[in-house]
Amino acid sequence: MKKIPLHIRIFIGMLLGIILGILSIVFHLGPFVTDWIKPFGTIFINLLKLIAIPLILVSLISGVSNLKDMSKLSRIGGKTLSLYLITTVIAIVVGLIAVNSIKPGNFLSKEKQMELSAKYANDANLRVTDAQKLKESGPLQVIVDIVPDNIFGSMSNNRNMLQVIFFSILFGIALIMAPEQKGIPVKNFFDGVNEVILKIVDIVMHYAPVGVFALLGALIVDFAGDDPKQALELFSALGIYAITVLLSLALMVLVIYPLIMRMFTHIKYKQFTKAILPAQIMAFSTSSSAATLPVTMECAEKNLGIKEEITSFVLPLGATVNMDGTSIHQAVTAVFIAQAFGHDLTIVDQLMIILTATLSSIGAAAVPSAGLITLVIVLGAIGVSPEGLALIIAIDRPLDMCRTIVNITGDAVVASIVATTENGFQKIEPVN
Amino acid sequence: MKKIPLYGKILIGMALGMIWGLSAESLGLIEFTTAWIKPWGTIFINALKLIAIPLIIFSLIDGISNLSDVSRLSRIGGRTIALYLATTVLAVTIGLLLVNVIEPGKFLSAEKREELSQAYASDMDMRITSAHDVKEDGPLQILVDIVPDNIFGSMTNNTNMLQVIFFAILFGIAMIIAKPDKVKPVKSFFDGANEVILKIVDMIMRFAPVGVFALLASLNIDLQLMKALGVYSLNVVLGLAVMVFITYPLILKFFTRFPYLKFVKGILPAQVLAFSTSSSAATLPVTIDCAEKNLGISEEVSSFVLPLGATINMDGTSIHQGVSAVFIAQAFGLDLSLGQQLTILFTAVLSSIGAAAVPGAGIIMLIIVLEAVGIDPSGLALILAVDRPLDMLRTVVNITGDSTVATVIASGEGELVGDKGQKSPD
Repeated sequence: MKKIPLHIRIFIGMLLGIILGILSIVFHLGPFVTDWIKPFGTIFINLLKLIAIPLILVSLISGVSNLKDMSKLSRIGGKTLSLYLITTVIAIVVGLIAVNSIKPGNFLSKEKQMELSAKYANDANLRVTDAQKLKESGPLQVIVDIVPDNIFGSMSNNRNMLQVIFFSILFGIALIMAPEQKGIPVKNFFDGVNEVILKIVDIVMHYAPVGVFALLGALIVDFAGDDPKQALELFSALGIYAITVLLSLALMVLVIYPLIMRMFTHIKYKQFTKAILPAQIMAFSTSSSAATLPVTMECAEKNLGIKEEITSFVLPLGATVNMDGTSIHQAVTAVFIAQAFGHDLTIVDQLMIILTATLSSIGAAAVPSAGLITLVIVLGAIGVSPEGLALIIAIDRPLDMCRTIVNITGDAVVASIVATTENGFQKIEPVN
Repeated sequence: MKKIPLYGKILIGMALGMIWGLSAESLGLIEFTTAWIKPWGTIFINALKLIAIPLIIFSLIDGISNLSDVSRLSRIGGRTIALYLATTVLAVTIGLLLVNVIEPGKFLSAEKREELSQAYASDMDMRITSAHDVKEDGPLQILVDIVPDNIFGSMTNNTNMLQVIFFAILFGIAMIIAKPDKVKPVKSFFDGANEVILKIVDMIMRFAPVGVFALLASLNIDLQLMKALGVYSLNVVLGLAVMVFITYPLILKFFTRFPYLKFVKGILPAQVLAFSTSSSAATLPVTIDCAEKNLGISEEVSSFVLPLGATINMDGTSIHQGVSAVFIAQAFGLDLSLGQQLTILFTAVLSSIGAAAVPGAGIIMLIIVLEAVGIDPSGLALILAVDRPLDMLRTVVNITGDSTVATVIASGEGELVGDKGQKSPD
């Protein structure tokens, strides 16, 4: 058991969960699964939610305060950052467009959607927000709502993600402005806690096989009741969802990036792809931009000929703040879950997705599955119950592998643009 | 625009806001103002409230744990701290007495007060607090209410300031008692975090011109209000004057026989600087210089007493807190009980220990005092406009108080070189 890598174990948990679900339908074990198996899935979801606020608080403070050294270190800091932000926003928009036109959630029948939302969404929450929104609907209320009057109050509720984000950014910027000597212990503290939180994520993910097993088993039982045919409906919707994610990722890599490269650099995209292929393969197999970073840097320097002074700054920063693939995934998934719950998202909700997904991609750490937790953040911000994660968690890992490729490709694209504008290329032998 | 100092911008924002507020009604812009301008004022007040609890936690813990170093550092530590506390209590009391006698808030008509409390106060809060008070009316309930049974619960609600203060003091004292080498990382964390919070205050104050504009624009300004504000300002100035011209001379006479005229002459440069910077911290080098060169206080005393004073002794700020808290309550038509006035005294003294020696921090401390007695801090909008000139004046009192205490201590130690006729009491 020890030797099997985590993602395989998650996969096994998934399979066993499906088998359990089907068996319990056949043998009418539904109540047993609901009483004795489902709670372990709920525990898993709770764990993910538990870690969301600490993660956002600490990783954003630590992340924002790191930017200072960067922007001081180099005047290309601002340029890099804005490029990263722009590609992230583009990625999210691509995802939103794809998911809104394909509508994978609508492959579920209306009754099914109702049933799902009744089962998973603590509907009360949703209604409360809606009612509140209607009541105090000053046009600027959205902005007012972002500024909390008590940060501890905000932290005591997972729905106030934006307020926590606001405070963390404020704190991070203030940390940059504080006298260095005084600021260092604070920064060390948050850096350390950040590391601890990431380890907690690790621990939680170790529990993932069990959680996924329980979630999937319960999902099928909940979904199908005693009728196996209905399970098929669920899987087809999930399949379409996965295809939507993959399609958007492909759009990014095969259309958007080439366009950007063409507009801002003289590098041929084919040559570019060839150069970073090793990093892409590594990204696919590790699902971690951080783990891939050394390879990405090597590819950028040796194969693309970007000077080390640029790669050593742009790429590590990118591994932390630039996650185009993850952002696409967040957008598609958030909307998919909302659709599956029969929840219509307004333009404001979609804008909220762009905002939170962008911000949380800055905060999200470059480790596998952190995206799942930031997804909780995005869902919370638009008032969709994060329980809906149960729907997609099973197929998250393969998608995670694919989106990590997009993440590091985006980093490399930005590095190339920065190098072009900063005259940062050295002579290289052409890649054959 | 860049070159205008912050208080200039706040004044401009205030003037524009008043003009807007005066003309909005006649131009039919009331709805526009409520929809598009008032929210920015709300955001400003929210931001100020947001920072209150972190500020209290970090600054009090930091302040109290610093006291340990100084009291260990010197045998005069205890006496200095006691004197500082005594003058602060005196200052708040003077402020409270004056404001209760003059009643600047009563210069507003009853209807106006009603209007104000409707416009600003999220009335709910107040009612809940008072209802709570009435119901569980045991005589010691106030004490019981100070000790929280869950500190995170207390921190999630701005009306629980006293509970948070209690915990912060407890924590600070525990830090003094704990092993120094173990505590060191904790202390440097709180030091740094305190610094970070102060920077956040800076950032929020930069937003103040917009915030003040929005607050005043959505306020129905009239002569009555301006008159009340004028009386309030006079009230603060009067309190400061009583402190400088009566209390301090009495203290000096009582403890040292150091001629007050000579004292004032000696510290005049520091007072001028305090007036122009609004910052006891920035004035500190000059204060020390004056104390040593002009008053003849030994360096040993001045280098210990004065920096400590710049941090924990703020007589002028305390007077201002007392007067402002009661004024706002009066303006909202809220009668303060004796218990509430004692709470003001208590929180004002404690927050002056925590308050940092920088401009603007006083406003946040005021929020703490207001929340502690259950007054909606949005009332700050009323007095923000005149805060800066008053801030300049109260800083003068702050450093004068520090110098007075330094003189008393030096005299007690027999170290006062220029102190004619005073025998050291060994």
